[in-house]
This record gives sequence, structure tokens and C-alpha cells, in this order.
Amino acid sequence: MKVRQTAVQSFVAVLGLALTGAVGVAQTPPAGSNIPRGADGKPDFSGIWQSLSGADYGLEPHLATKDDPPGAGVVEGKVIPYRPEALQQRAKNFATRATADPRHKCFTLGTPRGIYGNEPFQIFQRPRDLTLFFEFGHPVRTINTNGTEHPDGHIDFWLGDSRGHWEGDTLVVDVTDFNGETWLDRVGNFNSDALHLVERWSYVDRNTIRYRATFDDPKTYTKPWSLEVLLYRRLEANVQIIENYCATLDFDEYYPVPPSGGQR
Amino acid sequence: MKNKLQFQWVPAVLFGALALAPNIAFAQDMRGWRETAFVPTPQGEWNGPRLPDGQPDISGHWSNTIGNHNNLTDPQGPLGADDEGPPRENPRSNARQPKPRSERAPSRLSDPADGQVPFQPWARAKQQEFLKYLNNPIKPEYVEPFARCAPGGPSKSFMWHGYEIRQFPGYVVFLFDSGNRVIHLDGKPHLPENLKLWNGDSRGRWEGNTLVVDTTNNNSKARLGRTGEFVSENATVQERIVFDPSGDRFTYNATYTDPTVLTRTFTITIPNRRVTDKTPVDDWNNLTFPAKHAGKEPIIEGYERICTEGNGNHGQVVAVSK
Repeated sequence: MKVRQTAVQSFVAVLGLALTGAVGVAQTPPAGSNIPRGADGKPDFSGIWQSLSGADYGLEPHLATKDDPPGAGVVEGKVIPYRPEALQQRAKNFATRATADPRHKCFTLGTPRGIYGNEPFQIFQRPRDLTLFFEFGHPVRTINTNGTEHPDGHIDFWLGDSRGHWEGDTLVVDVTDFNGETWLDRVGNFNSDALHLVERWSYVDRNTIRYRATFDDPKTYTKPWSLEVLLYRRLEANVQIIENYCATLDFDEYYPVPPSGGQR
Repeated sequence: MKNKLQFQWVPAVLFGALALAPNIAFAQDMRGWRETAFVPTPQGEWNGPRLPDGQPDISGHWSNTIGNHNNLTDPQGPLGADDEGPPRENPRSNARQPKPRSERAPSRLSDPADGQVPFQPWARAKQQEFLKYLNNPIKPEYVEPFARCAPGGPSKSFMWHGYEIRQFPGYVVFLFDSGNRVIHLDGKPHLPENLKLWNGDSRGRWEGNTLVVDTTNNNSKARLGRTGEFVSENATVQERIVFDPSGDRFTYNATYTDPTVLTRTFTITIPNRRVTDKTPVDDWNNLTFPAKHAGKEPIIEGYERICTEGNGNHGQVVAVSK
């Protein structure tokens, strides 16, 4: 028999909503058993996912421009705690964003920008790892969940080196080894190669993932900070990750060979 | 940056490695692993492990065993910078003498019998033009798109570096050195035909040990080799990827149909072999690294492969010789 929600429970739920409102993602009861699970019993995140947060237009609260819609922001505490010199760099990035945004160079969006960017990505999951297949640039990020550790030394990866483990039904991913050449959004927010990112992936319900990322980067920020977005499962019958090798568009016109070998 | 490993593979690095490596790693370590002939894939019922959805478990790291994409019809020939043949006296010199044709691996084309692409005359002339200007690309279209970090297309990806296969219910996923590919096993309809893609749109099914893949929506911008062979946007490709019963080897067969460029179909055949923790690491066929972990069992993994800016010049290939 279903237990009716008491007034106290309702009050607690509303209070919870109010307390977490700053991040913009309402807390909901644990997803429990009504979520996809793999043979190993762990939550199975397989599927095509996309953020509707608008985070790529700007992580912090911002008004509209002619190009981009407004947004209430996804940063816990609203603003990113930049070091003074990093704040100057962000201002420079903002001023030159039309050309300096790595997205315009077709560079891989990086981590976590690829997660909340405006194109979908697909997760393939096995007990040993998760394969994240991004549409933009068509790169693949592997989250290893087989007990392996970060490699020794520092390696410059576009997407970082990801090692995950399960805490209950939450996938916790430790990401290091960034190349520092990616941005976090279109308005110039950024990190350095010293970033240490911790992601927490959990189901809200079977078609919604809560994604939380905590940034620790002493070269860029005065203290760690977090963002949170929801990811929605793409359910259209014909949805498919379509290769978007953006970097090839610059020379697209020279190929293939014209029919009958005609000149260009 | 000093003391930092760079795994952002750019063609300059790759071609540099290609030019220098035969004297160093290949000759000492890979001889015996790399091969000079097609090893037939043994026939028989699959006796390896299966995935829960019934697919033969062919996941793991793999590589082509013969040459690379330098020369489609003579993969160990003069334009093919392979490990076979006597080492060059000067590693920067391209003057290595190849073995006689009869001692080199056969053409990648197993059909037709002469091993040549059955081009219409205009297309043969175009291929010769591309070959002539490969090292002197005086027009943008003479630059082999692979040198610009473009994906290799359905077949050429298998002639390049080692790569990884991952399998999931309803999917086989290829992680190539330059570009990636998802084979749908779910019977989903192909994308609308006007969407032309570098690696096409692939739908596959298992027939015993053979993965049969229909690849449509090909933009055919990738060349089939640095020798300039090509097809058109109207090409369709049927791939038959035949695994041996134990999953140690497979033979990749791709049959191209394209009335725009060809007089008949042709089939590319590429032998492949599993890369394990016992395979010598040469940063070419075997790009894997031992994972760091507390356990005793060997785990190998491939690092991120993202080709972006920073192209070196395109000319660092073995010169065409008589």
C-alpha cells in the first residue's frame, strides 16, 4: 500500500527545494530501483544525453545578448572564485571570444564542457568502463571503472584522464591530466592544466541524470567550486550521434573528386 | 612542455615516427609480429567468449599486420614505408630498396584478380594526378585529407595505427587513431541519404563469426591510400569482417560499388591481428600502455586520440621510385 506523504514530509521537501535553489537543480527523492541497471547491479547510464541548462552560453548568471539567451547560471554560489590574474584572463577571453573560443577552432570541447555543450553525446557502458562519444568533433572519452589509477606524471589530454568508482548509485569520477587549452563556456570561463575535477553522476529518474562537477585548480581559482546540471535522455526515434568533424569544414570544399573529374 | 608526454598525435609526429622507426623499434621488436603475407583466417564455429547479448566477444586492441596506407595496391612497395626490407643506411633517406614484388605482400585488392582498382579512364587519370602531386600539392585538393586530421574513411582506418574495438548491446564501436565509428546492430534505418559523412553510416549484423556491415552516406572525401585511389559520394560499401574461431585474427573485406567512378566492384582485404600485453610496443601497431593498478593481472589501455591543429608538412613520405 502506498504511504501518503505527511505534512512534515512535504515541508521537508519544500525546504529542500528552497535550500538547493541556488544551483537551479531541484533535489528529488533517490531514484531507487526504477532506473536502468547493468548486470553488475550498478546504474547503467547507456543512452544519448543532452543538457538543456544553457550552461555553454555562460556558467554564471547572465543576461541575453543578440547571439545567446539569458541564464540563471549553474555555479553554486553564482560566481567562479577566480584569482585576480585569472579574472583578467577571462576578461581577455570574453573580449576575443568570437575567434578565441576553442569551439570556433573546432577543438574538442573538453571536460566538462562536452557534457553540457549544446550537442548530444552517447554513453556506452560496460562494468570496466564508460565510453562517452561526443557529437562535436566526434572524440571519445573513457571513464575507467576497473580499479586502475591515473598514469604517472602529467599528460596533456584534451579530455583529461578519468578514473571512476561507485559510491552507492553515484558514479564518482576523478579527472586529471588536462592540457589547459579548453574553455568552460562561450564567454571565456576557463581552467588551467592543473585542474583536478571530481564529477558525480547519479540518476534522478530513468531519463534524467544529475551531473555535478567540482573544480580544484589553484593556478586559476582561489578555492574549489562546483556546478550542477541535469542531463536529459534523448528519446526521439531517429536520434543518433551524427559525426561532426568540425575541423574538416575548413577544407571541405576541396573533396571529394568532382564527378567525371571536372575541375574545381 | 618539458617532461610532459604529448599524446596529441599530429601527423608531423606520426610521419616522423614512420620515417625513423624502422631502424629502431620495428626491426628489433616487431619483425615476426608484422607480416609479409596475408594469413588466412581459419574457418570454424566461434569458440571464444560471448557477450550476454550473444555477440562473439571481439573487444580489445587490434592492428593491421601489413604496411600502412601509403600504397594501396603494393603495400610493401616503393611508396610503402613498411618495416620489411633491409634497414636504410641513413634513416632520413628514402632510398631503401624494396624486396622484389614477388616477395612483397599482395595488393590490398583481393578482387579483381589483377589487384588494381577498376577505374573508369578519367578516374585513373585523376588518381595518377594525385599520386604525381602527393609530395608537391600545388592545389588544395592534392593534399591527402588524412594529413589534415580528417578521418580515414571506412577502409583506410584499418590500414593505419592500431585501434580498439568495444562492444555493447546493439553496437560495435571502433576507436581509430584518427576518427571513430559506431556500427549499429539495432536495425535502425540509415540516416537521410543527403547526409554524407567521412566514415559513412554503418548498420551491421553478425552472421556466425562474421560481422557484416552496410555502410552508406559516404562522403568519400577520404582517399583509399596515399597513392590517390578514391571513390565518389555514390559509393556504397559492404564490409565482411571475418573473425577466426578463437578471436586472435580477423580478415577485413570491403566491397565497393560505385558506378560513377568504377567499371565494376572491387574488394579491399586487410589482415588484422589482436594486440595483447605480450605484443611489442612500437607506438605504431601497438599504441597501448600498461594501466597503473594494484592488481597483478596485466591491463592495457589506449590513451586519448585526438588529432587537431599543428599539422606538419605533408611531404615526409617515401619518394616514388622505379
